Amino acid sequence: MIIKLKDVNKTYPGIVPLHVLKDINLEIERGELVSIMGASGSGKSTLLNILGILDNYDSGEYFLDGVLIRNLNENRAAELRNRMIGFVFQSFNLINYKNALENVALPLFYQGVSRRKRNEMAMQQLERMGLADRAHHLPGELSGGQKQRVAIARALITRPSIILADEPTGALDSHTSKEVMEVFRSLNTEGMTIVIVTHDPKVGQATNRIIHIADGQIVNE
Amino acid sequence: MFDLIREIGQTLSNNKLRTILTGGAVAWGIFMLIVLLGAARGVNNAGRENLRGQSFNVISIWPGWTSKAYGGFKEGRQVKLKDKDGTTLKQKVHGVSKAEPFASVDTAKLITARDAVSGGFGAIFPGVEASERAELLTGRFINQRDMADARRVMVLHERVARQLFGTTDEALGATVQCMGLAWTVVGIYSHRWRTQTFVPYATFKELTGNTNNVNQYDVTVEGLVTESDGDAAEQAIRNELARAHNFDPEDKSALWSWNQFNSYLRGNMAESILNWAVWIIGIFMLISGIVGVSNIMFVSVRERTHEIGIRRAIGAKPRNILTQILAEAVAITTIFGYIGVVLGMLVLQVINSLFGNMEMFKNPTVDISIALQVTIVLIIAGAFAGLFPALKAIKVKPVEALRDE
Repeated sequence: MIIKLKDVNKTYPGIVPLHVLKDINLEIERGELVSIMGASGSGKSTLLNILGILDNYDSGEYFLDGVLIRNLNENRAAELRNRMIGFVFQSFNLINYKNALENVALPLFYQGVSRRKRNEMAMQQLERMGLADRAHHLPGELSGGQKQRVAIARALITRPSIILADEPTGALDSHTSKEVMEVFRSLNTEGMTIVIVTHDPKVGQATNRIIHIADGQIVNE
Repeated sequence: MFDLIREIGQTLSNNKLRTILTGGAVAWGIFMLIVLLGAARGVNNAGRENLRGQSFNVISIWPGWTSKAYGGFKEGRQVKLKDKDGTTLKQKVHGVSKAEPFASVDTAKLITARDAVSGGFGAIFPGVEASERAELLTGRFINQRDMADARRVMVLHERVARQLFGTTDEALGATVQCMGLAWTVVGIYSHRWRTQTFVPYATFKELTGNTNNVNQYDVTVEGLVTESDGDAAEQAIRNELARAHNFDPEDKSALWSWNQFNSYLRGNMAESILNWAVWIIGIFMLISGIVGVSNIMFVSVRERTHEIGIRRAIGAKPRNILTQILAEAVAITTIFGYIGVVLGMLVLQVINSLFGNMEMFKNPTVDISIALQVTIVLIIAGAFAGLFPALKAIKVKPVEALRDE
């Protein structure tokens, strides 16, 4: 089991505290392709942030690949994010003054991999995504689909345990969305665990398991 | 390290205008600091050069006219210093080691086959050249034998020697006509402002009728440390001469004096104040540059919050972000600061070549040690400028940073 959440709660403090996740219990097996669906404000993005160690939870337990993720200091959290998780975002989140190759190679920079080695590895990932000829292009020179494939290449470069994708097709047209989902399916057939947060039913249908979340609770699967 | 430099290079070149504006403020501050330091040095060098011919523990005195009635005499009486006053001062004033009389006539005509010169004529005792800081170029100064035998020998200033003989070599040992008599040139000297011809005091006295009158005493006082020591010594000399010549010791016009020791102390203090003032002004300019860099770095961090969020999400540790922002600030201050140093030094070279040999301004340059000190200050300042923005950057949670657009 790669992900296990047990009675996870999260409340945002404020004049009126917002209880966004309520006793979440969730298990995801290695090699699954899962979508988390829910309306806006349902708590699905908060759940993804907790899964991605970008945010803390208040109570319960979260195990990622057997490691208890709780009250980690920022250095340890960064290390786990770097080695175990690949992120794909709706708005791609590429650094606009770095070319595709540099963007893909960036996670390895934080592992202290030499420039030559990381460029070599980044190029392999870009070739895998069919973007070798775009390696030296800046994000501004790429189409939406190409940007998202660069982002997927970046997510894959550290050989993570899981890919977390937050509305990965949200900024793409239907044709390109289909292409991106095909990439995810292809990666999943190679054994990669992928969790996609989406509100798009078509995306959900393209995954093997759909988890519905409403009002901070998992309502059905 | 190379990777970090590349990262910094990319970030800075991605924000060219911001980098140039920020760096420009630093470069300007350093440029002004270097120019000010050089200018202060030029003034100090000129001051030192002007003091070069000055003895530091000498009080020079000249006779004047009384302005107060005293001891039964009316005011307006001329004080006449005598050659025995020197002995009195040595015996009665504490610390006086030498009191060298100096008699002179304003103009005396020196004649050779080549030319004639009218100039000052100074009768001195052996050793006066030391307190007057005259520099011997060739030959010798007046000695005891010249005094004992009242020899007709003279020591010429180099300019006078050149005018009379063409070269200083030809002048040494040659004869000069003066006061209707033949004199032998025994030495050539140089001095910043004195051009008088020196002759033995004994010879001068014989020729001028043995009046024992003295135009000036250079009184050397040992053990002076503070300005009040200098004032006390000057007053003691004044008191002793007032007693000997019956004038009011507080009557300043009866005896003119130049306390070279106190002038030296004041010169040193002025130099020190000038140096401090320049450093303080320069450092305030630098601080304003650093505040500018810090401000811009804050803006930069604010603008790049989302980018920092992306970096954090893909594995950047807080220290990676901290290092990058600090390094950017250090890079901006060091690179542009160094440009300021180089430009400042170039401008000083131009100023030096145009105005570097004036009476009040000499060799206005800064040496490499100052440039190195400024560089070290820049690196520290750069780190300081980047520290607060960097700390702010790492305080933002990755999830909040990613939300920022």
